[in-house]
Amino acid sequence: MDNGMDNMLDMYLFETNTLLEQLDGILLNAEKEKLFTVDDVNEIFRIMHTIKGSSAMMEFSSLMKIAHKIEDLFFLIRENGVDTFDTVCSEAEHHELFDLVFNSIDFMRSEIERVENAEPLTDNIDSYLEKINAFIDKITVHFNPDAAPAASQETTTTEAAAPSQDLPDNSAFFLHVFFDEGCGMENLRAFMLVNALQDACEDFTYYPKEVESNPDTAHEIIDKGFYIGFQNKEAAETAINILKNQSNIQTYEMIENPKAKAPQTKVEEPVVPEHTEVAAKPVQKAESAPVHTSKKSDSSTHSMQSKQSLISVNLSKLDSLMAIVGEIVITESMVTSCPELVGVKLDSFTKSARQLRKLTDELQDIVMSIRMVPISGVFQKMNRIVRDMGQKLDKDVELVIIGEETEVDKTIVDGISDPIMHIVRNSMDHGIEENVEDRLKYGKSPKAKITLTAEHTGGEVIISIADDGQGIDPQAVLNKAMRNGLLVKPESEYTQKEILNLVMLPGFSTNEEVTEYSGRGVGMDVVRKNVEKVGGVVSITSEVGQGTCTTLKIPLTMAIVDGMEIAVGDSIFTIPINNIRQSFKATSADIIRNVDNSEVIKRMDEFYPVIRLHELYNLETNVTNIEDGIVIWVESGDKSYCLFVDELLGEQQVVVKPLPTYLNGFNIKNSGIAGCTILGDGNISIILDILNLYTNASNLN
Amino acid sequence: MANETNTTQDAVSSQVATDTIRKYLTFLSDGLYFGIDTSYVTEIIINHKITFLPMVPYYVQGIINLRGQIIPIVDMRLRMGKTACESEDGTNCIIVLNIDTIMIGILVDAVRQVLDIDTSKISPPTANNHEELVCGMMTLADGTTMLVLDQAALSQS
Repeated sequence: MDNGMDNMLDMYLFETNTLLEQLDGILLNAEKEKLFTVDDVNEIFRIMHTIKGSSAMMEFSSLMKIAHKIEDLFFLIRENGVDTFDTVCSEAEHHELFDLVFNSIDFMRSEIERVENAEPLTDNIDSYLEKINAFIDKITVHFNPDAAPAASQETTTTEAAAPSQDLPDNSAFFLHVFFDEGCGMENLRAFMLVNALQDACEDFTYYPKEVESNPDTAHEIIDKGFYIGFQNKEAAETAINILKNQSNIQTYEMIENPKAKAPQTKVEEPVVPEHTEVAAKPVQKAESAPVHTSKKSDSSTHSMQSKQSLISVNLSKLDSLMAIVGEIVITESMVTSCPELVGVKLDSFTKSARQLRKLTDELQDIVMSIRMVPISGVFQKMNRIVRDMGQKLDKDVELVIIGEETEVDKTIVDGISDPIMHIVRNSMDHGIEENVEDRLKYGKSPKAKITLTAEHTGGEVIISIADDGQGIDPQAVLNKAMRNGLLVKPESEYTQKEILNLVMLPGFSTNEEVTEYSGRGVGMDVVRKNVEKVGGVVSITSEVGQGTCTTLKIPLTMAIVDGMEIAVGDSIFTIPINNIRQSFKATSADIIRNVDNSEVIKRMDEFYPVIRLHELYNLETNVTNIEDGIVIWVESGDKSYCLFVDELLGEQQVVVKPLPTYLNGFNIKNSGIAGCTILGDGNISIILDILNLYTNASNLN
Repeated sequence: MANETNTTQDAVSSQVATDTIRKYLTFLSDGLYFGIDTSYVTEIIINHKITFLPMVPYYVQGIINLRGQIIPIVDMRLRMGKTACESEDGTNCIIVLNIDTIMIGILVDAVRQVLDIDTSKISPPTANNHEELVCGMMTLADGTTMLVLDQAALSQS
């Protein structure tokens, strides 16, 4: 493996997280169906096996041990027949099994998090192991009522014998080979491998022994892999070269045998004599034997079995790819709109330029699509939350997911995962009624429903989280806001929409007491902040007794926007096209003075405030008469107003560049400046944030 | 771009470098003679177009596009609380600094030269130092006094 340790760690984290998520999904499904299918059990078994293997390789022993225990558990279920298990075990035990596995998954997640944060792993996992052991004992009784005492006996003996399955003999090096799954006749394939090796290497041993004569060894090879022992490293390396030319080999791994170096440390274990045929077959209660040494480097069967045509790429590489493509788009327009070319007739140049434009457009589209990932990952996580909270709070809730295949930019998916989780928790905790009677009273079904929806609309993704709970009581919100001093005008003047928006103010939380899941002082304001960070807006609708719906409107991507270039004096600004409703010429007769001398204008029977950009930003310009310039009617979130600027320069696709870090200290983001971009001629244009610009302007007044 | 000079054309010095010898770039601002460690200096550019940026403190003159990189420009005179340097012909001189990955351009009156400075001979600023941007002083061979620019204070916004 020529990758650095970091790369391996990244790979490990990615793989393990994916597997745990997969596991979550399987379990949730199985729990819903109230039974395991053979496939489920096999899949869980395989996942645990992989996690165990790769954790051992990375020397994360706590993860390995837990994974191993769960593997044991499911091995037991598999061996005794999944159907038997489903019939034999009571509902309570089923329940216990799910809780046990879910808890273990959570534990593993927290351990993974520790790995990510470079913190030490938990040492004390005995309580977990004991719990699982206890459960294993319990269900063993079910499977084998007569042999109950023997069964527990077996657990202990296998435990003692555990290290013996580690490596089969005292050779210094082992090659641990796995064949492609489902290739069949593993024992014969192993034998062919041995034959091939015999030509090149002289002295080696292999396990299981009777591969040629005993077809049963095939199963053993599938489960445990095929071991080939060598006396020295050179021989092992020669063998690897041969291995590479063999077909049907999925993975192989070289293992250095610690026993060969220090055999005396493990006196109690039955050391297998090298050439006695009978004893040489490693005593394998195989999978059911718990391993207590982290030295066992199991093959990290790189999970994806069906050969997917997928690769995982580091996000930072995609980011830089995106940045370069952005530069290319700019440079392309810089070249083709070069001022020196104006008026020059160059047929072949124009032709090539057009072709270049087409290609850069395609390139940009592809790069953008690479970064798109389905939102299903985020949605699936909510299943777990709904399940856990439903049990804890004793609420019967069904989660309905619609449009999980909707694709969104990766950074945005990461950014909205926490907000969605928070909203779902809120719904579970505060939204859904405590008592079923309250639901019946409103004529709703006793089973509550939370609906997660995602859909595309043009340049935006709309995600809504709707529950059919008790809704938000506007009066309670008002009272609370008043107590917290959040009201800025008389109570009676608040509209329904404004009241609901109060919920998203910092320092607001309608629930009095703090629960395990929500109400820790992090409220909807954090949700709003996080969503705004990725350029989105949050809105809430609610009806008492009918439920609450939170909608997140999020742009597909933030890297490239369609913008309208406008000029004020010498400065050039970009307004995202999405925000523009209309641009028009106005006369001074259209302008109406408000009491506080601010200007308003009437459009489509409604009045909108007018913000003069040159006044707001203190820009020098000759255009101060409303007739000379142009008015742009813009809208963002729930704010709609008109901007007065000198002139429109034209529409252009721009690559958003963040402002320099040095300027972050000046709180410039809140003054309506979202970033900047470089135009085709090398000039800088400032990208306006229509929402913040309005807030900033109204604060100044 | 022709309007750039490179700082690597150092004043030639064959002196054996010891641990305390550092190269300092010296420049003038409002009659004061400043020096900054060349390890912070990326390049010197002249006559670059500065784009005005609203809603920032008065001493931030704006931003520039330096080959695709956006760099904020701080006017040294204004930063020190003095009056801006009015150049009639619109010429300017910017030293681009990279202070712990924070890129800043400082607008100065003129760039002088690169000197080898023995940092152990830099004396601390006077006790009643009101100039927050100075972290040391040193008298040079020709008798002039060089103020050592406190790059950390400069990068604090």
